[in-house]
Amino acid sequence: MTDFVMEARHVYKAYGIKNAKKAEKTGAGVDVKHVVEAVKDVSLQIRKGDIKLIFGPSGSGKSTFLRCLAMLEIPDKGEIYLGNECLTKPGVDLNKARARIGFVFQHIYLFRHLTALGNVELALRQVLKLPKEEARKRALDALSEVKVTDCASKYPAQMSGGQAQRIGIARALARNPDIILLDEPTSALDPELTGEVIDTLRDLAKEGTTMLIVSHEMPFAREVAEEMIFYDEGRVVETGPPSQFFNAPNTDRAKQFMTRIINRTTRE
Amino acid sequence: MPLAFIRVYEKETSFLVDAYEKIFRGVPEIVLMLLFFFGLGPYLRFPFGNAFFVAAFVLGLRSGANQSQIYRGAIQGVGNEQMIAGMSVCLSKWRSIWHIMIPQVFTFSTPGLGSEYALLIKDSAYVYVIGALAEVMTRAIQIRTSPPYDAVTPFILAALIYIVLTFPIAFWLDKWGNKRKKKIGL
Repeated sequence: MTDFVMEARHVYKAYGIKNAKKAEKTGAGVDVKHVVEAVKDVSLQIRKGDIKLIFGPSGSGKSTFLRCLAMLEIPDKGEIYLGNECLTKPGVDLNKARARIGFVFQHIYLFRHLTALGNVELALRQVLKLPKEEARKRALDALSEVKVTDCASKYPAQMSGGQAQRIGIARALARNPDIILLDEPTSALDPELTGEVIDTLRDLAKEGTTMLIVSHEMPFAREVAEEMIFYDEGRVVETGPPSQFFNAPNTDRAKQFMTRIINRTTRE
Repeated sequence: MPLAFIRVYEKETSFLVDAYEKIFRGVPEIVLMLLFFFGLGPYLRFPFGNAFFVAAFVLGLRSGANQSQIYRGAIQGVGNEQMIAGMSVCLSKWRSIWHIMIPQVFTFSTPGLGSEYALLIKDSAYVYVIGALAEVMTRAIQIRTSPPYDAVTPFILAALIYIVLTFPIAFWLDKWGNKRKKKIGL
């Protein structure tokens, strides 16, 4: 029995492996450049109510790792546990498992042909098989939780980025997932809209929602995160409470990165 | 449309669809009709002895191949992100296709579908080669050589009939697509 909501053990994911294997078979020689190792042996545990924040340079594989956790990308090696269930075992009903994981995308990805309400309702009706009235009620509840009830009948293209992203969060919330994974939820928004979304996340944090967030919003991190994870070149470089990173990171790489981020924030 | 989705999302079987599309898009309808009616018809027997059936069969499959291409473009236009978003709210692959992709793909493909429909109607004119080749030719010559020696009016009339058949549907499809696109703000 584990008391983790989600656990990753030695997850490994690389792109271009198939081509490399093919090349090996045909004797063409493996072009190492074509294999990109996005996640190299990453382990992570999340308990109920945890709020953890992953940060690190672009292209270091944070998003890939997050997608692996939600099994939107299948890891090449390693195991992912959701509660006691191993998601990486063959034959696991992934759609069922994904119902317990909420995912928020950097570029939002709302369903463009559906209204805000429709976006939130779809999974409730199709996957949880809720009757129409109940699905509607729960969708409206989720929308009011992120304070966008006034957008309920708008289409994604008619909303601001901040509204759209909050609906993205509502879509993830509506199923009452065990954990919500957020992949840079604010990085595609301008500073003003970022505020709206951060406020929403802060509210969720207060309610004890379990969250794993990829973000570079440092003031927010300092305020809500229990643990920060510095991620670079496919590995976890350093883990610790925000105070550790803001005062004296243990590794040089983290020190360097924090200095840069803090400089940027103060300049703004 | 199912063919287009197989082509995009089922890597293992997509080569079959690919082969079908290449054949039916690459060979002229006339050749296909002659092949199926006079060439293969006697071997395939019923219902390939029936000119109407062969015409519908060939034109249908040809149009299917073209439509599959149109939808494939639209699927790629909608983008894989929408599929991933569907998976993230735990819809299965085929459910995502049904609830998320198809409504958007259809909106994106209306202009292409309109022109494909017009092509299909026009190509039905080729059916004479297996139906009433001799009949059509004799009539055409008759029109020219018998009083009132006017070959323009009958053919203009025929052309008008084709326009009446093709125009409204293409027009309506386009209009519907644009309205829909405007509504969802694309």
